[in-house]
Formats: sequence, structure tokens, C-alpha cells
Amino acid sequence: MSAEMKSQDSDNDSDYDQSDHMDEDEEDFCGYYDNDTDDLDIDRPKKTDDPEYFEYELLKVEDVERLLNEDVEFLCSCLKVDPHLAKMLLQVHQWKKEFIMERYKKDPAKFLVDSKITPAVKYKSAPLGVQNTCSVCCRKLPSDYFCHLSCGHVFCRECWDNYFQVQILQGVTSGIECMENNCHILVPEDFLCRSLSKPELRDKYTKLSFLDLVNTHPQLRFCPGPNCSNVVRAKDTRSKKVDCAQCKTIFCFGCGMEYHAPTDCATIRKWLTKCADDSETANYISAHTKDCPKCHVCIEKNGGCNHVQCTKCKNDFCWMCLGDWRTHGSEYYECSRYKENPNIANESVHAQAREALKKYLFYFERYENHAKSLKLEEQTLSKITTRIQEKVMINSGTWIDWQYLLDAAVLLKKCRYTLQYTYPYAYYMEKTARKQLFEYQQAQLEAEVENLSWKIERAEITDRGDLENQMDIAEKRRQTLLKDFLEF
Amino acid sequence: MAGLPRRIIKETQRLMQEPVSGITALPDENNARYFHVTVIGPKESPYENGTFKLELFLPEEYPMSAPKVRFLTKIYHPNIDKLGRICLDILKDKWSPALQIRTVLLSIQALLSAPNPDDPLANEVADAWKSDESQAIETAKAWTQKHAI
Repeated sequence: MSAEMKSQDSDNDSDYDQSDHMDEDEEDFCGYYDNDTDDLDIDRPKKTDDPEYFEYELLKVEDVERLLNEDVEFLCSCLKVDPHLAKMLLQVHQWKKEFIMERYKKDPAKFLVDSKITPAVKYKSAPLGVQNTCSVCCRKLPSDYFCHLSCGHVFCRECWDNYFQVQILQGVTSGIECMENNCHILVPEDFLCRSLSKPELRDKYTKLSFLDLVNTHPQLRFCPGPNCSNVVRAKDTRSKKVDCAQCKTIFCFGCGMEYHAPTDCATIRKWLTKCADDSETANYISAHTKDCPKCHVCIEKNGGCNHVQCTKCKNDFCWMCLGDWRTHGSEYYECSRYKENPNIANESVHAQAREALKKYLFYFERYENHAKSLKLEEQTLSKITTRIQEKVMINSGTWIDWQYLLDAAVLLKKCRYTLQYTYPYAYYMEKTARKQLFEYQQAQLEAEVENLSWKIERAEITDRGDLENQMDIAEKRRQTLLKDFLEF
Repeated sequence: MAGLPRRIIKETQRLMQEPVSGITALPDENNARYFHVTVIGPKESPYENGTFKLELFLPEEYPMSAPKVRFLTKIYHPNIDKLGRICLDILKDKWSPALQIRTVLLSIQALLSAPNPDDPLANEVADAWKSDESQAIETAKAWTQKHAI
């Protein structure tokens, strides 16, 4: 243990000062940096040591638009194509510029066909006469009422307009195909905008298509905070922690849900669904009820007596063995038959359901308890502020002297948060040595967090060293757990 | 038929004049967008000799969005649920304004000949179809006898 403590001390000062750290990240992201030559500040731990380290930047809507336009312009000048085509290619291929350039340069014609922009074989319609029938609305119209995409399928302008209106009202803005059955040629944005007759739908299209661009762009994600329009950009698209500077929402870049380390995105989704639905209700019913052996009605035991009489069919039976009560003779409350002849078929199902419920509740209670404690820690924070003011008023240290207590409360929240999300992880873990190790580390973190919580509530200015030591231990435990179990 | 789009009028006329074999589609007296449909079970399918009633409705946006079709006769089929709803791509995301009532009904007839248990709507039926196809076909035949003849 002492060796372990030592190694923890050696890389002292991790990321307590989150905000400072973050500014650094953002600067680094925009400019250049080389991790290995970061020798100006030797004491600072290497960024790669922090399991939660993540480079990202927060963008406003205008920044995103500018950024996307830059990509479009870049592609325009490289491939010598018009901006509409460049944008379409980027959208179809998830903004993978290098991939697009490579494939386009190799064989532009084939690439456009593969991208569903031009047809493999152009449809040859009968030449338009003075009057023509639109195959969708069946009306006879002059030839200048008709238009088509690169595939050559001709329809009247009003039908195109109606078609786009219906798509937009259904919330579809990307991947809209030609109206012809089995023709998959994509509708270019400029064609769509020219066809749309209603200006309000054009606005709706612009809005929806921007949402779509951000949602399909692998490097971008909307901040999920309520009424927050920020967009996060990260070059590395993993399940990492993002902290929105504007609305303070902390979320996972990978899935956009609450940050959930060490649990991964798929597992947390499974866990949250499990908590939200009532799959455990069914388990509860299995665990707490039995079916009457005679009429099979579902019975919940409402008293201690094992002699149960079914209210429906008046059958007297033993709750333990489900056998006829008369055979039990004078033995009351304890079923000897159960020990002799356990009703395996029935019992095993119940036992399994009970066991599953017990397991789920075990993890859920702890998960829920930390969630509740986290809310309480908000109150702790305001209590600390009041206490600091009182202490300063009676000249027990200055305001600056007491700041460490606020830092401690922030750290405590962070540790509790991680602890909360260790429970879904543990719930889905297989019973292996790795799970034993995980639960060992989890228990260690639990203990240190409770120590920290206790010390924060009773801190006096003279204990500062002790408290800071405790902070360090708790954070080290948290980091160790994340380092060992946070999978990428 | 005031205000009825020309397209619907044309389609209705053609359905009457050149009916598709094994399929009838008659517009309702009071609602030209509502059709009473019957589909005869295709030969060599478990639905052979059965007459299946369906309802078809053309929504306001038709033909920009797909018609709504539902089986009224009970049918044992992995892509049709107990409410008669049909799992067919052209009725959903693969709809094209160039498709018609006629093509939709032909596709439904084809679905009766070729059930697709890998894209199920009625899960129990699909499972039965996959685990014991001959038994499932027997059940489908029995249902046809009971409900569609």
C-alpha cells in the first residue's frame, strides 16, 4: 500500500483547477502543441496521464457555419467544382475531405455515380412536346412547367414543390431522392430551394438542414443543455467528458447523454432504459407472488402465516412448498416438506427472479443514493459559503485562506459523480477477477469519498493540510479507477 | 368529386376499366379517397382461394405520401400484425410519388406469395415461421379456411 501511495504522490497536482486546464486545452486545440516538449511547466502532469483528458472547443452557430463553409470552399478549390456539389459530396460522405479528394481524383465520374449524384445510365424520356402530362399529377401542362434532376425523370414544377413541402414538414432535409420509383439520385440543395414556393418552408428547411449537418458531422455535437445552442467540436470522436462553459452542462461527446465514465455509452443506455422501464416490476411480481397451485391465480402473501388459502378457489396450501396444507399436520410456520422435497421447478424460477431483483436493487440503490447525495452537495456548497463568511467576520482567517474548502467541495462532487456511474458498470460486469478488482477499487473510492465528505463538513482552518491530503487521496483513487477501467 | 385531384380521378377510372387480376378496389360512395379492396390469395401460397378484405385510404398529401392500407380479414402472416397493419417498405420510407394504388396492391399480393420473416411486424408469427415453416404454413392455411373463405 505504501508503494502505491508514493507513486500517487509523485504525480501530484492533477486537474483540480479544471477551468485553468480547460482554457489551456482550447488554446492548444486552435494553435499547435507538442506534448513531449511541454517542458516550460515541468510540475504539471502530462495531459495523457489524465484519463479524462479531452481536447474540444465550444462553437457558436455562426462559428459552425463559417467552419462548414470553409470546408466547402476548400473542396471547391481543390476539386474545381461548384459549391453546391462540394457541399453535397461532404454531406454524403460525412465531411471526410481526404476520402472525397482521393476518390474524386481517382475517377470523378464513377465517384459521382457512387455518391448518388449522377445516374449510371441517364433516363431518356420522350422529347417534350408543347403539351405534356405529368406522371404524378396527371395534368397536361406546357413544356416549360417541367424539370428534372441529373437522372432525367421529368415532373412538373408544382409536383416537385409539393413533394419537397411534404418532406420538409415531415422533418426530412437530407437524402431526399428523385420522385421516380427506385431512382436514388439525390436532390441538390439549390434545385430544392428553387422549387420551393413558400418562403416560410425555405426558412424551416435552412434550420432543419443545419441541425442535420451538425448531427451527421462526426466532429460536431450540440450541447444537450436546455436552450443552449452551443456546438462542441472535437477532432477525436470518443466518449469523453465535455463541460459546456455557457450552460454548465456536463455531457459525453460520444452519445450526448450525461457524462458516464467509467461506464460506456452502450451500457449506460441499457442501464437508463432498464431504470426507466418496468422490466423489474415483472421481476417483483415473480419474486413476491406465487400462483395458486390449483387455479393458478396470482397471489401476493400479505401476512406471515405460511398457511395460505386462495380467495378464489379456496384451496389451502403451503406458501413454501405449494403443497396441500393438510399434509403438513401440526407443523406450523415451518415447512418440513420444503427441506425434504423442495419444489425445484417452481422454486428455481422464483429464486432466479428474486436473485435478479436483489442484484438490480443492490446496484440501483447505490447509484440512486449517489445521485441524491450529489443534489445534497449543492446545499453543502452554499453552506460552506455561509460558513466562510461567518469565519471571516470573526477574523478566523481571511476569505482567501478559506478558498480551499470550496475546491474541496467541487472535488467531492466530481468524485461522487464518478462513483455514481461505477454502479451501472459493475451491474453489467461478468463475475471475473476483473470485476473483483473493480469492486475493490470502487470500495476504496467510496471510503475515501466518505472521509472527504466528513472532513469537509467539519473543517477548521488548522486542518487544511489534512483536508488537502484527503482531497489528493480521493482524486487519486478516482483517477486510478478510471485509468484502469475507462475503455476507449 | 369536387376538389378531387386529377391524379386520383385518373387512377380510379383506370382501376375500374382495367382491373388487376385477383384484385378489386372500389371507392366508397361517400368518400372518394377511401377504397374497399379485396385481394385473392395467390396460387400456391397458404392463402390460396382466400378472399381478403382490405381498406385503403389516400391521405391529403397523396401522392406525395403513401396510401394507408390495412387488412380487415384476419390473416396469419409474419409481415401483417393482428390489427391488419402491413410491413411493406413502399408503404413507408420507400414510397415514391410515381407509385400508384395499383402498384401498392400488387406488392401486397406479392407479399402474400413471399412472406419475409426476417423483417417481421408480428413477432410471434415470424418466430413460428422461422422455427417450423411447414407448421406455420399449416396454421396460415387453417386461418385462411376459417376467416377468408
